Amino acid sequence: MSVEPFNRLVKLAARAFYDDITTKGDNQPKTGRSDNRGIAVVVLDALTRRQWVREEDLAKDLKLHSKQLRRTLRFFEEEKLVTRDHRKETAKGAKIYSAAVAATAEGQRTAKEGEEKIKLHTHSYCCLDYAQIYDVVRYRLHRLRKKLKDELENKNTVQEYICPNCGRRYNALDALRLVSPDDEYFHCENCNGELVAESDKLAAQEGGDGDDNARRRRREKLKDMLQKMEVQLKPLMDQLNRVKDLPVPEFGSLQAWEARASAAGRPVNGDSSSNDPFKSSQGLGYGRTPMTFIGETKVEVAFSGVEGKEEDVKSETASSDRKVLPPWMIKQGMNLTKEQRGEVKQESKMDGISSAEFSDDKKSNDDVDNKSLQDEYVKAYYAALLKKQQELEEAAKKQELLHAPNSNGVSESLSNRQVGMKSKREEDEGEDDVEWEEAPTGGSTGESYKVNDLNFEAEASGEEEDDIDWEDG
Amino acid sequence: MFFHIVLERNMQLHPRYFGRNLRDNLVSKLMKDVEGTCSGRHGFVVAITGIENIGKGLIRDGTGFVTFPVKYQCVVFRPFKGEILEAVVTMVNKMGFFAEAGPVQIFVSNHLIPDDMEFQSGDMPNYTTSDGSVKIQKDSEVRLKIIGTRVDATEIFCIGTIKDDFLGVINDPATA
Ligand SMILES: [Zn+2]
Repeated sequence: MSVEPFNRLVKLAARAFYDDITTKGDNQPKTGRSDNRGIAVVVLDALTRRQWVREEDLAKDLKLHSKQLRRTLRFFEEEKLVTRDHRKETAKGAKIYSAAVAATAEGQRTAKEGEEKIKLHTHSYCCLDYAQIYDVVRYRLHRLRKKLKDELENKNTVQEYICPNCGRRYNALDALRLVSPDDEYFHCENCNGELVAESDKLAAQEGGDGDDNARRRRREKLKDMLQKMEVQLKPLMDQLNRVKDLPVPEFGSLQAWEARASAAGRPVNGDSSSNDPFKSSQGLGYGRTPMTFIGETKVEVAFSGVEGKEEDVKSETASSDRKVLPPWMIKQGMNLTKEQRGEVKQESKMDGISSAEFSDDKKSNDDVDNKSLQDEYVKAYYAALLKKQQELEEAAKKQELLHAPNSNGVSESLSNRQVGMKSKREEDEGEDDVEWEEAPTGGSTGESYKVNDLNFEAEASGEEEDDIDWEDG
Repeated sequence: MFFHIVLERNMQLHPRYFGRNLRDNLVSKLMKDVEGTCSGRHGFVVAITGIENIGKGLIRDGTGFVTFPVKYQCVVFRPFKGEILEAVVTMVNKMGFFAEAGPVQIFVSNHLIPDDMEFQSGDMPNYTTSDGSVKIQKDSEVRLKIIGTRVDATEIFCIGTIKDDFLGVINDPATA
């Protein structure tokens, strides 16, 4: 069961159809800062690297406000791309919290205490529904094409008739009044002339009046649109064809999936999450399984493949048989991918930090999860790391200089040279928040904590995250 | 589409109907007046299925007629754009064909008939495919899609298409 072709399908569909979706409520002003277009793509991309995931965890990984994430997920649920599951769970963290609250306000709270102890918290989980996505995307394309073609062929238009004698116009809705008992034609009510169907007339005299011109322009436009659609959505259609005969990845319901995951005998939470006070306090800890790791690794390769080809710099890590995305896709889509955690203008210094952390992380994880795929990945990663080490340091130095003015332009050019590394770093971040907190090389751990807090308070939009990353470095 | 709705109407009843059978008279007059009529808003009234309530009568000065407000349940038929209907062909000509779905008249113009069907004039004008396997003539049953409606206060007229998947002849009287 290969997920990769389907993930690619999801990514293409995300960029084709959900690129400019904003999930803001209508009452909120759409200022530049709160404009969250692109989040939908980020969320879908993140889901391709996971199976079932607790929405809180996903929000944390993406550094999104959980409300915002929920809104996006609800949207995708309606779009039939995502299945969600909600269930009540005892949350240790919540218990501890309520006990603490009860202790501080003992006098009045005694009655309430017991009640709060057994309180269950509803947690939501979500997962891509690949089978349905395949159908939904196909259906959407079918409708798009049909609509355009129908309009192009005047399929659902009301036929118009003209009297050649007096120029009076009729349409098909007048048909009942126009039939004559004598012959098989429609006749003018005015002069009893034989009516001519409009389209015939159009074909007869190509010159036409303004009305005809407008119609012709519209036809041209429709034809153009249809053509553009065929060209621009070709990668998507190709991918649909590619996955047509593949078995669809099926994770089943949340319960079934969990049962399977635990049967596989893998520790549900690596030590990565036990380092995380927030996560380990959440009781059952269904946060993530190592299976997600594998998924992520694969996806990561795909990304660096695309970006690496773009640059031809570090093709070792980027060795992949993927097709290069068409330019329009790279321009929009890839940008978004980088934006994934809001770091289009991410500094290369960040890369240095996170890669160091990443290696720590890997070591600890290797004890837990010895999948060969991961090993391969680590090997490839180290190779790239070694090769890039010097350049990174240099870049880091430069970055320090750049840090003060916050100059976007310059750092962008830097980050362009670091794309391969960056995508890796994104993955790290998506996987483990731990790095943020460990962050020994960065020397700014305190700051990152603060930043995280900010993130929870404020509506975390893509732009805000940009700022955060700047501060972080 | 059919709907079961409650409508209200003021019925004027001649004094000669007053008496033991007043209610029956009122209902039968209502049926005669209402069934088969068409209002742009609700569509065709197909049948009255019940009387909800008959209000107090009001005697008109001078005439002796009494006005009763009557609330009644009825089945109405209202065609909508995009709806698929099955209809019987009533007339075929060079411009297309007319069909009836119950009380509704539908016109299908020739450009909304599949391109492979050609008009054949004669005693029994019809549209036929080149291989003669499908024929639309008077009394053919067709499934069509409504693409436009003209709704007047007392009349609904539709235009339809059979140029789409699963539309067209469903029962040919010639072969049946
Ligand atoms: Zn005329």
